[in-house]
Amino acid sequence: MNLLTRFLSWLKWMVKGQRLESEMETEVHFHLQSYAADLVRKGLSQQEAMRQARIEFGGIESHKDAVRASVGVRWWGELGSDMRHGWRLLRKNPGFTAVAILTLALGVGANTAIFSIVNAVLLRPLPFRDADRLVRIYFNEPGVGLRDVRFSKPELDDLQTRSGVFEDVSPIYEGSEDLTGAGQPEHLGGVNGSFSYFSMLGVTPQVGRLFGPQDFVPGASTEAVISDGLWRRAYGADPKVIGRTLRLDNDPFTIIGVLPRGFRHPGPTTSGDPEVFSAFGFSADPFPPPMRGTRILVSGIGRLKPGLTLAQAQARLTAMAAELRHDFPADYPPQAKWTIEIQPLQETLVGKVRPMLLVLLGAVILIVFIVSLNIANLLLARASGRQQEMAVRSALGASRGRMVRQMLTESMLLSLIGGVAGIATAFGTLGFILRFVPSNLPRLNEVRIDWVVLAFALLISILTGLMFGLAPTLHSVKGALFSAIREGGRGSGYSTKTGRLRDLLIVSELAFAVMLMVGAGLLLRTLRDLLQENPGFNPTQVVAAHIQLPNPNESEGDTYRDIPRRATFDRELLRRMKAIVGVELAAITSALPTTNANPNAVGGLTSEGFAIEDRPVESSQHLTAERIRISPGYFKVLQTTLLRGRSFTEGDEDGKPLVAVIDESTAHKYWPDQDPLGRRVRFARDATQPWTTVVGIVKDIKSDGLDIDGVPHIYVSTYQDNSREMSVVLRTSLPATQLEPQIRHEIQSIDSGLPVFDVSSMNDVLDRSLASRRFSADLVGGFAGLAVLLASIGIYGLLAYMVGQRKREIGIRMALGSGRGGVLKLFLQKGMVLAGLGVVAGMVLSASTVSFMGSLLYGVRPHDPAVFVIVPLLLFAIAVLASYLPARRATKVNPMIALREA
Amino acid sequence: MGKQIDLLQGTLDMLILKAVSLGPLHGYGVLLRIQQISGEQLEIQQGSLYPALYRLEHQGWISSQWGESDNKRKAKFYSLTAAGRRQLHSETEKWNRMASLIASILHTTSEQI
Repeated sequence: MNLLTRFLSWLKWMVKGQRLESEMETEVHFHLQSYAADLVRKGLSQQEAMRQARIEFGGIESHKDAVRASVGVRWWGELGSDMRHGWRLLRKNPGFTAVAILTLALGVGANTAIFSIVNAVLLRPLPFRDADRLVRIYFNEPGVGLRDVRFSKPELDDLQTRSGVFEDVSPIYEGSEDLTGAGQPEHLGGVNGSFSYFSMLGVTPQVGRLFGPQDFVPGASTEAVISDGLWRRAYGADPKVIGRTLRLDNDPFTIIGVLPRGFRHPGPTTSGDPEVFSAFGFSADPFPPPMRGTRILVSGIGRLKPGLTLAQAQARLTAMAAELRHDFPADYPPQAKWTIEIQPLQETLVGKVRPMLLVLLGAVILIVFIVSLNIANLLLARASGRQQEMAVRSALGASRGRMVRQMLTESMLLSLIGGVAGIATAFGTLGFILRFVPSNLPRLNEVRIDWVVLAFALLISILTGLMFGLAPTLHSVKGALFSAIREGGRGSGYSTKTGRLRDLLIVSELAFAVMLMVGAGLLLRTLRDLLQENPGFNPTQVVAAHIQLPNPNESEGDTYRDIPRRATFDRELLRRMKAIVGVELAAITSALPTTNANPNAVGGLTSEGFAIEDRPVESSQHLTAERIRISPGYFKVLQTTLLRGRSFTEGDEDGKPLVAVIDESTAHKYWPDQDPLGRRVRFARDATQPWTTVVGIVKDIKSDGLDIDGVPHIYVSTYQDNSREMSVVLRTSLPATQLEPQIRHEIQSIDSGLPVFDVSSMNDVLDRSLASRRFSADLVGGFAGLAVLLASIGIYGLLAYMVGQRKREIGIRMALGSGRGGVLKLFLQKGMVLAGLGVVAGMVLSASTVSFMGSLLYGVRPHDPAVFVIVPLLLFAIAVLASYLPARRATKVNPMIALREA
Repeated sequence: MGKQIDLLQGTLDMLILKAVSLGPLHGYGVLLRIQQISGEQLEIQQGSLYPALYRLEHQGWISSQWGESDNKRKAKFYSLTAAGRRQLHSETEKWNRMASLIASILHTTSEQI
């Protein structure tokens, strides 16, 4: 109550400052007049009475000031005058002001931009209703080392009803589909979920309606919902799109609705985010009869019931998995230890990029530290020059608090101007910056500068202002009072107290620069190692293109329904590819090296369990490998060395004995002291399947990414075992752009409905796979360069200032016989000591924090000796060079002139 | 004029509250009222009355209104608010307790110990 009264009163006077002044004036005047009148009545003359009244009243201005203070508006007026004073000072030193504001704008701008990404990707909840209740559901078999295995319709029903923890569950098929109809066939990302997919996420359409539980059919729905992007691109944002038919993988679908603009399927982000959405009932054609062991569902998303914590839900699911294992021992072999795991959906989407983003955020925060230390140093130099001003102020009665406030107001003014410039920079350049961010960064489309980002930028500005304002403030207020007047304001040289503070600033600046350089060094080394990494094949003069055979729900119209039909397509494809002029060799693979972006997608590479003949079941528990379907020429196109045995031939086709080629990793892992040639394996450990014989061993190919090692692969012949998703690889000296039309023409001569996408050279494919690493390495590298520049400017400025201040001392030293070498040594030594301290401090800080970067490194240990030797030496050398220049200037001091001037 | 007593720290607020509790007064009137009821015994620097008046108003213990003085001039009149009345009451009580405590300490004789 009282607080409110006071606040209202304060507000009243703040708003009506003018009225306060006039009221005070009137009151004081009335008082003096009345008193004088009383005095006249006592016999004084009018003039004498007025004089007496004024004397007894006391200092009018100081009483008025006390009134202002007592209603809490005085500091406001003072703030205004401090601001004006600060503004004048900034205008008087345009050089200093420009440097300070530019570096601040850079620092705050970089922070704002990076934080806007961090905020959108990591901090903001997913754009769905009660997003914290959405979870990804995994089925694992820890006993055989398998994670994220498929599940069956009855298991889905168990999640829905038996578990009691989910409000809703939807299986998710993420895949790509061929859109045909008008013009060029298009290849689109698509999602098939359950009918409750949208209601579970809580989405409302912008046009038409979304499918819901009321539309349920046991098989496949014939209704589709399209994304805003597709709606605009393919239908010109026509609201009458509802009811039109589109063909996906040859199946006709009726469009029933358009999703809102910002909607994005919460799955792994790929270049083509899903644009068509349809639903399945999962229990009738095209699905097999729902049996517990028929595991056809790939991944699942669920919404937890309200009020349930993740741990409670997990406990319930773990218990249910145990019950199921007990109830259906035939479907859950005990050694597999089948179980269910849930993870917050947001975590599964962004967990992978968190370390990278946090390292970037750390780097920009270090940059802003360095910027503010640099400004602190400049201000400190200026503060030494202002000691006299401070001394006079204090002699005239300014309190210490008042002086601190004035100095802080000045630096806050500077930091806020810099901050506003920084925010403006970020606003202006965010779009440009985002173009360099790898497109597979999840939630990139949600990045924008919102209130949270602005608040962060403001906070950063205020903190930097405090940081660089505090040091000079404390210094001048403390030091100024005694010394300056006595010394008559003559620059007293490099006093120990200021000196120590400035040394500390430089040392911390250097230490932060070291941290950034170590981080950049490690990231750049990782990138260089990856670029030099032997991918297991020769990527030059190889062009790749992607094709996906349609997978219609209606099996009658399916031209590619079985292995022989697809094998026929494969042979025709290869024949036509080889016929293109300039193409030497052609081959097909189901997994183009380094592009295994989405293991959850249909056809994506996932580890499969397999069995080895004559090996006891117990020892085969951990047998997993990735299966890659290739045509006979694959290793020739990629120039991968065949180590033993043979590759596939045209004769390895359907109906002939099944054969496989394994890579070195598989050979070492599963046949460490045996010859794998002639051994037999079987996928899915399904006893009804025939055995596959190992006929050859090749060198490892980095199919999963340059930074992923040692995953065992088993190659099978595409004529015996194939899938609908494939890449064709061509060895040719022609560029991809020149070949693209011919590739497309040839493929569409076989089937005009087949889209051809992502035609690019293999070198570009490798390059793209490193995009996010390159982005973070380049960014941190750039920041490190900037940090080194700022730090060397700092140390240069400090020594140059020292030389200027100590001219007289240098003159005396020289007059007394000190040589130029001695003077040079004096300053160089100072620079070297500072550099040494900074570097050592930086190394200690780096060594203790670098382990956070562990997950971003490849082939380099966090405490990589090379980085930890080169970085300090390099920075030390730069720092010494930066101090040599002013030191040399010291030797040019003419003792006569220096002494006379002083 | 007899010997005047310097005002104790913090008692000015209390005196002002007391003065205006007897009826609305303008600033100069407050001064006269305090001098009158103290029998001209208290020395108050006249100007320091105003910061105190604004502070009390700021805290909501007195309120002000512009009006006309006896000599037909525009003046600001202060009067006690309900909160001010409570404040005066508790201050008075505190003061009395303090005064009697100090008095009893000062009157202590050696026999009483």
